[in-house]
Amino acid sequence: MYSAQITRANPTCIVLLIDQSGSMSDPFSGDSARKKSDFVAEAVNHTLHDLVIRCTKTEEVRNYYHVAVVGYGRNVGTCFSGELGARYLVPISEVADYPLQVKSTYKRVSDGAGGWVEIPVRYPVWIHPMSDGKTPMCEALAKVKEVLERWLLEHPRGFPPTVLHLTDGESSDGDPNEIGQQIMSMGTDDGAVLLFNCHISSRRSAKIEYPTDERALADGFARSLFHISSRLPSNFLSAAAQLGVNAMEGSRGFVFNGDPSSIVQFYEIGTSLTGMTPYRWMDDASRSEMA
Amino acid sequence: MSSVKQSLIWDVETRQLLLPKLGHEPSECEDAVAVDIQNCRFAVADGATEAFDSRNWAQRLAQHWVANESASTLDEFREWVAAEGRELRDSWNGLSLSWYSEEKARTGSFAALVGVELDLKVDAPEWKAIALGDACLLHCRRGTLLKSLPLCRSESFNSAPVLVASDCSMHEASMKSVVIDSGSCESGDVLLLLSDGVASWCLERFEKDELEPSDFLGTKDGDELKRFFDDERLAGRMRNDDVAVIRIEIKRRVS
Repeated sequence: MYSAQITRANPTCIVLLIDQSGSMSDPFSGDSARKKSDFVAEAVNHTLHDLVIRCTKTEEVRNYYHVAVVGYGRNVGTCFSGELGARYLVPISEVADYPLQVKSTYKRVSDGAGGWVEIPVRYPVWIHPMSDGKTPMCEALAKVKEVLERWLLEHPRGFPPTVLHLTDGESSDGDPNEIGQQIMSMGTDDGAVLLFNCHISSRRSAKIEYPTDERALADGFARSLFHISSRLPSNFLSAAAQLGVNAMEGSRGFVFNGDPSSIVQFYEIGTSLTGMTPYRWMDDASRSEMA
Repeated sequence: MSSVKQSLIWDVETRQLLLPKLGHEPSECEDAVAVDIQNCRFAVADGATEAFDSRNWAQRLAQHWVANESASTLDEFREWVAAEGRELRDSWNGLSLSWYSEEKARTGSFAALVGVELDLKVDAPEWKAIALGDACLLHCRRGTLLKSLPLCRSESFNSAPVLVASDCSMHEASMKSVVIDSGSCESGDVLLLLSDGVASWCLERFEKDELEPSDFLGTKDGDELKRFFDDERLAGRMRNDDVAVIRIEIKRRVS
């Protein structure tokens, strides 16, 4: 299970589900300058960038992935806009070709002689930060289920879809357990849909990352998310180990009270799929500053 | 494809095979083989699937290594790779690249390489090899595996080997992983240069004593080998990867 080769004929599917409720405009604890919604939008853009780069073969982007970014807050819907219109699942080559804009910036890289140089880089943007309304998590998960059902009919044999859900609060439209379980019961010949959840917090609370059981989880909402979080398959565990994340056999793809570095790792681990080396879009110095 | 070299004492017979991944076109194959039978230099390279222009990089490394006799020590190899990397990068100048190709090109290209030079000494031919990455040399004698480098067990193959980078800023770290070795041959010995998928498959066959790959690769013709490896990859006994094989058999001439 979770061993199907990801090819153009047999692509996989990645859904980034993001909370865009009003509370996402609050800052992370201890970082009053940074809104959660700003950081999440940046992380999503970097993740899409990473997926495109992985699929780039010289001047062609191969469609190994179909990708959706679904947001929920005042509305539930796709976060893609512009040329990508109101579509949900988009082949990665089209994601590559149609960012909303491509910004220019500078990146610090090794000069190969022990020093650093700054080089110009282009930085695509697909989604902008958004934070408004309540937290209709159940409706959002139902939309993800609908999107996946269609995709699975056409792709019954590939590496199963991965849903990376990021939220900062409790559902405002009911307990997400039932719809979460329904999503986790779907799948391909290669395994069930993987649903991973990352809860981020504005409070200074101890974060819990990739637990194997629910005993460490104090409140009902945390346990509810734990129950709809898939176990990390072995290739994802390898990616976690490479990132220095403490995950083990039986660990759930679940983070509670996460901070910015948790988000970065959550996306890196969640998109590692075939055991590829996780793409590190943030250097170690920046991680340390955030942690 | 095969070729033969005859010295006063020794015959060297080579066969080579290059197959793309199942479902891919030959033009998408990122493995490369190069043979200079007159100078007894042979190389297999395997371009990293995720890298920029890796097919060209693999071909360049294999072809130019067999043509360049001064890339056999670590210092020579480092200097030679740096020069090849600069030429590869120069070949990208003037291209109008999308943001993603530009980003990919910035990190450069990567490939595994194994190169072997054979010295047909009168008493016993000697091989010298240089390797970086997971393309392998297997030295076989009468159905047994004498040596395999740089990897020697089928479970040692993973998806993140240290490779030959076109960007020389990575060489300080990567060149520490270069393996240089040598050995001597007897009549009937077979050297196999293999890209990673088929190397892992061959080593597993040796470990399980299931068949004798060095003989096997020598007796089937090209079409039969293609069908065989297609079946192995389809059945999942071998990873669906490109296949590059150079088989070199050394025999004392019968007078």
